[in-house]
Amino acid sequence: MELDYRQVFEAIPCSLSVIDRDFRVLDANDRYRIRFGDWEGRYCYQVFRRRSEPCEVCPVGQTFLDGERHEAEEEVQTIWGETLTVLVRSKPVLDESGAVVSAVEMATDVTRIKNLEKLIRKSQKRYHTLFSQVPCYISIQDEDLNIIEANSAFQEDFGNVLGRKCFEAYKHRNSPCEPCPVQETLVDGLPRTREEVVTSRTGQTKHVLVTTAALRDAGGAITAVMEMSADITHVRELEDRLTQLGLLIGTVSHSLKGLLNGLSGGMYLVNSGFAKGDEGRVKKGWSTVQRNAERIKAMVSDILYYAKDRVPSWEPLDAGEIAFDVVTMLESRAREISVDLSLEAGPEAGGLEGDPQAIRALLANLVENSLDACRLDDASTGHRVVVRVEGSKDQVEFHVEDDGIGMDREARDKAFSLFFSTKGTGTGLGLFISNKIARAHGGEIDLRSEPGEGTTFVVRLPRLKPPLSELPISPISEETAIHA
Amino acid sequence: MPEGQRTILVVDDDPDARDFFITVLEDHGYATVFARDGNEALQRLVEGKPDLVTLDITMPEKSGVGVYRKLKEDAGLSDIPVIIITGVSDDFKQFISTRRKVPPPDGYLSKPVEPEQLVSLVGKLLA
Repeated sequence: MELDYRQVFEAIPCSLSVIDRDFRVLDANDRYRIRFGDWEGRYCYQVFRRRSEPCEVCPVGQTFLDGERHEAEEEVQTIWGETLTVLVRSKPVLDESGAVVSAVEMATDVTRIKNLEKLIRKSQKRYHTLFSQVPCYISIQDEDLNIIEANSAFQEDFGNVLGRKCFEAYKHRNSPCEPCPVQETLVDGLPRTREEVVTSRTGQTKHVLVTTAALRDAGGAITAVMEMSADITHVRELEDRLTQLGLLIGTVSHSLKGLLNGLSGGMYLVNSGFAKGDEGRVKKGWSTVQRNAERIKAMVSDILYYAKDRVPSWEPLDAGEIAFDVVTMLESRAREISVDLSLEAGPEAGGLEGDPQAIRALLANLVENSLDACRLDDASTGHRVVVRVEGSKDQVEFHVEDDGIGMDREARDKAFSLFFSTKGTGTGLGLFISNKIARAHGGEIDLRSEPGEGTTFVVRLPRLKPPLSELPISPISEETAIHA
Repeated sequence: MPEGQRTILVVDDDPDARDFFITVLEDHGYATVFARDGNEALQRLVEGKPDLVTLDITMPEKSGVGVYRKLKEDAGLSDIPVIIITGVSDDFKQFISTRRKVPPPDGYLSKPVEPEQLVSLVGKLLA
């Protein structure tokens, strides 16, 4: 049976054309005409690409050059204006002498495949972006707990971890953790969620909420486990802060009740003193009222200081002057409780850089603490509190000395802890805040005390503002450990 | 001390509170002794049995809770009425008796205390 080549030509499911060496279309199937229009007497680049000039490179051109088959992916335009991606293949047609006289060009529409490819690439890219950019740590561990993939956040905080064991990379352990959520998921394929504490490469401790998910191969077997960890350190810090706030409210309300009780007592003395015509009692009552009102004021300012994340506003100060301000402010209170409050400041006291309001508050808290220590000491009378300012080349020292009740070991150890107070009406804020202020200035407070022998605080502050790197990052929020 | 005058032991670490309670009580015909912390309170109880105790809870040295338990567990002292006077929250009233088998305090006053409250409660307990 003789084949009807024309029929075959028409039946092939792609656009077929025969092109001569001048790129003129000699013949084409119907499919070609339907897509690209009439071709008789026209050049292939006119029909196929809507161009007036031949293309720079094309499979047909190459075939004419070397007599070989060629193929390429091209974008072409249909007569109805649609852009198609086609796979163009060209094959030489030879004459009897073997010379290439024309070429067969076959164009297969691969637009749909192309679009799917694009879609897959796009979605891969999107997943990759998601994987690398999500604000949590993602790593993939194989069955031996080697990290085979890790996202940017992970590598940023834990370094180049690829190929390392997970427990080495962020737990700094030599053996797997017990229990290990990844191993558990490897066994049963079920997700696990657990809170863990990990250490970054810079030594920072982070609280993370870890969730694991099994990764399976096409056959459904578990080959690896993805570990996603959300950094919840801030949440934990906030929780701590809330706990502290709860404690603060508790201690504040307790001490406020104590101070209000003192006010009630003072008022009773004033009223009953007037009724009895007892001037001594009125005076005593009035000074009780004043003292308790002052302490409520001081407490409120401490609370405000605690609540605000204060960064010192630095300015040049005179150490002696600051101490003088504080002593003057507290003189009358000292007199009321018969304590001799004095100031010793020599010329070597000199100047320093600091926040005047904060340093005054720091010293006032210490002096008030000393005055209370004297007031609470019923064992002896004639107490004294001395504020002494000394200095060396690099630092200023403020000494606050009293001969009050003194502190035992426990009170000494906890003196600067938040909410620690031995006074029924204390908030446990005063010395904590003094210490914070000293540290915010790059300084420190030392404490010497023995029960019955009084207390000496020594505040050392640098004369010049230290470089930022040497100052605590947040003067208030760091080191707020609770010592209940 | 006049015949039949009742003695009250005032226990509080805050001098203002002590002065307050002592003055109010003395103004109303009671004799007073005082203690500045739990240990001193136990000392005073040994020195002489008072007719009533007002007891602060949060104090350095021995706390008021310890004093209260000791007092209520001592057959010779357990009949002394005790008024707890504290700024700690009101739940404390329950707390002090639930932890161990001690009876609840005879009276409870929350700081700040009104003089009339104190006098009337003391009067009632000593009637």
